[in-house]
Amino acid sequence: MNNSQENKNISRRHFLGIAGGAVGMAAIASIGFPSNWAANKIEIDINNIEQQKNETDVLVIGGGIAGLFAAIKAYDAGSKVMMVSKGRLGSSGQTPFAKGIFAYDKNNSTYSIDEFVEAVSASAIGTNNKAYTRQVAEHSLARVNELKEWGFFDSVLCNKPFRKPIDKRGITVMERIVITNLIKENGKIAGAAGFSLDEQKLHFFEAKSVILCTGAGGFKPNGFPICDLTHDGTIMAYNIGAKVTGKEWNDGHPGQAKNAADCFDGWHGMFTKKPNITNVGIRHDLGVDLNYQAYILGNPLKMGRPGSEEPGSKVKGGPYVPEEFRRREGLPEGDKKPPKRKRPDNDGPPPGMAGDLVGGSSAGMAIHKSEGLVPINDKCESNIPGLYAAGDALGSYMAGAIYTQIGSSLAGSAVQGAIAAEAAAEYCKDIKLQAIPNSTINRIQEEMLAPLKREAGYSPAWVTQTLQGIMIPNFVLYIKREKMLKAALTYIEELRDHHMPMLRASDLHELRLAHETENMIISAEMKLKASIMRKESRCSHYRLDYPEPDNENWQAWINIFKGDNGEMKLEKQKFDSWPV
Amino acid sequence: MSINSIDGCIGCGTCVKTCPTDVLRLDPKSGKAVIKYPADCQICHLCRMYCPVDAISISPEKSVPVIVSWG
Repeated sequence: MNNSQENKNISRRHFLGIAGGAVGMAAIASIGFPSNWAANKIEIDINNIEQQKNETDVLVIGGGIAGLFAAIKAYDAGSKVMMVSKGRLGSSGQTPFAKGIFAYDKNNSTYSIDEFVEAVSASAIGTNNKAYTRQVAEHSLARVNELKEWGFFDSVLCNKPFRKPIDKRGITVMERIVITNLIKENGKIAGAAGFSLDEQKLHFFEAKSVILCTGAGGFKPNGFPICDLTHDGTIMAYNIGAKVTGKEWNDGHPGQAKNAADCFDGWHGMFTKKPNITNVGIRHDLGVDLNYQAYILGNPLKMGRPGSEEPGSKVKGGPYVPEEFRRREGLPEGDKKPPKRKRPDNDGPPPGMAGDLVGGSSAGMAIHKSEGLVPINDKCESNIPGLYAAGDALGSYMAGAIYTQIGSSLAGSAVQGAIAAEAAAEYCKDIKLQAIPNSTINRIQEEMLAPLKREAGYSPAWVTQTLQGIMIPNFVLYIKREKMLKAALTYIEELRDHHMPMLRASDLHELRLAHETENMIISAEMKLKASIMRKESRCSHYRLDYPEPDNENWQAWINIFKGDNGEMKLEKQKFDSWPV
Repeated sequence: MSINSIDGCIGCGTCVKTCPTDVLRLDPKSGKAVIKYPADCQICHLCRMYCPVDAISISPEKSVPVIVSWG
């Protein structure tokens, strides 16, 4: 069943008129909300909260496809494994909605692996990490074949096929537990902590190794099914000293103008399809070119299937596209034409690319695999011993800072989950479980529950919507220039310094929102600072004041980390290199 | 509203677990699913698709104002 009715909440024209940016904040905040703002009616008995301690070798955080492979491959490599997720296995994050998975089959491709890596690098203007690009090609077919065995391709919904290999191994899966903290002791990972959404219970996990499969995130945007993804893993890891990368890149998906928040209809039935397999076809899908067109010409814009029309051709300037990827007649040009590719098995165009459009449907998310923890090697290892990340939680730059290969997002998560698992299992062999000291447990409990203790403060929903109003406008997140980035940063710093410490929560649902909101604020600060630092345009980062790629100064990624005094620091790391 | 109604719920709790954004909860008294946090619905329909008795109907509009980057 799926019925519709006209939106009675507010005149859309009126709303969009005032939603234009940071100056609209007060106006946005004054729009009626369905919940009560006035008082924090705390429904939790704060003095009656249980604690549960759990022990494992490898703790996998997140229940998407990266988490699935991380859990089973770590188990198969001999580790004791536990999976914890704030949602349900196969039913949270982006995995349930990704319907194409890439498999490189050398017997069925005109590309050699070397040619595949080179083609991706050409499209990505050097932003990809060739080791990870190669890895997805080398391992994708094996992962896809395993998925076939579990019935992944026979089912629209993936909880059941994911449960199959998990149950066979008897791996413990703890669902609806929101992890808020990673724990580091003696310079190494020691575990994690979180709270249950269903009972008044905190969970502390002592683990030799942690694999973050927490996905990416956004600003709870309208039109993309990522409202449960708020970069939780990235920010938790940043807080204990991990390096983070890729915050200046942007996924530029538009959404449908009518009922812009309606993900299901915006994706035109794709959510009801079974997954399918994609093969090699290197593209240069920007998204941000459409944002540029909207910025110059205004709305409405129209766009058909990719390739049926060159979206940026109507306006001069805009994002740089490498010569060989300038589309004519719908196909990338190059030395080789890509093999004829089966379109994803859906009836309509890809998400948000039909009818009247609005921008920012995935606002706050970078390109898949281009943001997250900085890997120190090709084994998904972070700079914190014992801490690994896979899939969208790892800034592997597998595809670079732009979409280059359809279906590689899902494949990359599967491949990296397995790679991280084998490395983590190996690491565990020489490591003893560290006890989490009581002082740490007490400190974390205080931090975790603080919003439930504030009788006065700011509701997470209000702070989130204020943040959306600051960050989502086209002229902040997509079409960038220094003046606007700095203006937005001033607002975000206000949220960070004054509102974040006063987030309140009345129940466990709102406690989750409070922590998610904190993560979004820090991610917004990272996005703005990285965008200000990158004084050039490349791939999905577009600066009006620096519109061209600067190959002399910017053949480099930006890493973000916490300085000794807690301040946010940024550094360059040369493309196609590992951290020194 | 996004989730319009739940009609014919058997109280299995699948939708509660399935919802990525924790919109649904089982009512402690009736044991049936209720739309507890409608503002957080992302209109993805996973709850509807997982429901074993097709009890959930969903409307396409969001219950809070929608912010987009250009419109």
